Amino acid sequence: MSFREKSAWTMAAVMLVAGVFYAWLVSHGPGAPVIGPLVPYVMLVIILSVAVQIVLAVTSPKEAQAAADERERLILWRAGQLSGIVLAVGLVASGAVYVMLPSGNMLFHHVLGALIVAQIAEYLLQVYFFRRGH
Amino acid sequence: MPKRPPITNRVRELREQHGQISQQALGDAVGVTRQTIIAIEQGRYSPSLETSFRIARQFGVGVEDVFGWEGE
Repeated sequence: MSFREKSAWTMAAVMLVAGVFYAWLVSHGPGAPVIGPLVPYVMLVIILSVAVQIVLAVTSPKEAQAAADERERLILWRAGQLSGIVLAVGLVASGAVYVMLPSGNMLFHHVLGALIVAQIAEYLLQVYFFRRGH
Repeated sequence: MPKRPPITNRVRELREQHGQISQQALGDAVGVTRQTIIAIEQGRYSPSLETSFRIARQFGVGVEDVFGWEGE
């Protein structure tokens, strides 16, 4: 497994764990100020991301230093492009929910949720393209 | 399942003919990863024109000696 595929797997896991943590925080105080769940979520994402990237870099130092080659750049670009569609759908859905249930706090949480889902989709699409070609 | 590109190649065969040069060594020589060389050999990825020329030059042959067009 290539360094970038390992990185995509681990970052997908980080975003999933952090996303579940964020949803859990929101479910315990849906009307609370958004900064409440946002700060611990951001901190968790930063800490986990740095930790897994350090582990990956230590275990594969040469690959970690190397720039992405032409195939990898194409895969990263294509996964980013498709995850943009996931984000767009999530944002439209968030807007639709806001029209029916106008709550600024919930709109914020839904938009952030859409960002998290799109990010997870991007990493999983990277894994798919690394494994199956494109 | 993604459609395979209609391009064939003799990269593996040429590696074997040129003293069993490894996928890693070829990748390093032409500026791509070992995984990209594997993807090229398996027909899952069609390299850019620049990388195609680099691979061909590495073996001292022309691009058409390495890559071909499958079908009509």
